Amino acid sequence: MSGGEPARSGNILPLVAPRSRRLRAPLLVLLWWLLGFEAAGGLVIFFMRLAAGTTPGVTAHVVAGAGLTLVYAVYQWQHWTRVAPWRSRLDYALGLIAAISMALALASGYVLAWPWFTRAFARGHDAVAYSTLASAAHNIMSMLVLTFVLSHLAAVLLRDRGGKR
Amino acid sequence: MHIPPFSIFSAVSELFVTAGVLYVIRRNWTRQPFPFALFLTVALFEALVNVMYMANRAAAATSPAAKEVLSIGMKIAYACHGLLSLVAYLVFVVLGVLAYQEQKAGRWFFRDRPALTWSFLVMWVISVGSGEVIFALHYLV
Repeated sequence: MSGGEPARSGNILPLVAPRSRRLRAPLLVLLWWLLGFEAAGGLVIFFMRLAAGTTPGVTAHVVAGAGLTLVYAVYQWQHWTRVAPWRSRLDYALGLIAAISMALALASGYVLAWPWFTRAFARGHDAVAYSTLASAAHNIMSMLVLTFVLSHLAAVLLRDRGGKR
Repeated sequence: MHIPPFSIFSAVSELFVTAGVLYVIRRNWTRQPFPFALFLTVALFEALVNVMYMANRAAAATSPAAKEVLSIGMKIAYACHGLLSLVAYLVFVVLGVLAYQEQKAGRWFFRDRPALTWSFLVMWVISVGSGEVIFALHYLV
């Protein structure tokens, strides 16, 4: 003890908040980058397809989407094994909606990617005939992913902040 | 010109959704309890009906089998409105969640952030207003 405070032992590491460490984990950072890339690319494709009838960067969007699927699957598995079991709380509900939306966004993305893939494989030059239903579903599910991922994160961070006060 | 019933339903219901959004913010602004059930209803309805309608219309307009021929100006208006609708919805849900969480701690999220609140409201009004203008130009003019 010194000055009323316990002396810190030399082999005790400074306390780092687990949340801040987890938010900087390489897997989560990679997931954020892929999600950001897909979101920006998807918005560009959405806008240009409507305004000009073109789909710029669709190859990069599909390839990054495949990468996002793998990274997200690993992240979600790790995340759930850490936070399970289910609790009746707002952040859990928002996280569940985000996870369902992500699964549906990826699934509808693969439905859209299939005609693109077959055309690319056949080295065709015709415009890809995307399914209207799959296209609409992919747009809305992607938007729900962004909405509920951000809401989930906001709810968790605010709950943390409330707990510290 | 024939107006699809779902288009009329979406154009009218968007005004009720806007009333719901304004009510949620007004309650928070006047330091009254957050109407979470209304917020949830508005958020789900907007996503499952109006944004889905917009996404479906956007997808149909770009389909090779599209029957309607749109002018360049109308295409750009469609694209801008679609993009703004998606962003406005996203911001509404995130701000609503923040306001709900903050109110549980005795703070009034919208009241404490007037610049953010008014910016969001302006964006929401432009988003809804542009949809109504497109509806009117497309079907009524």
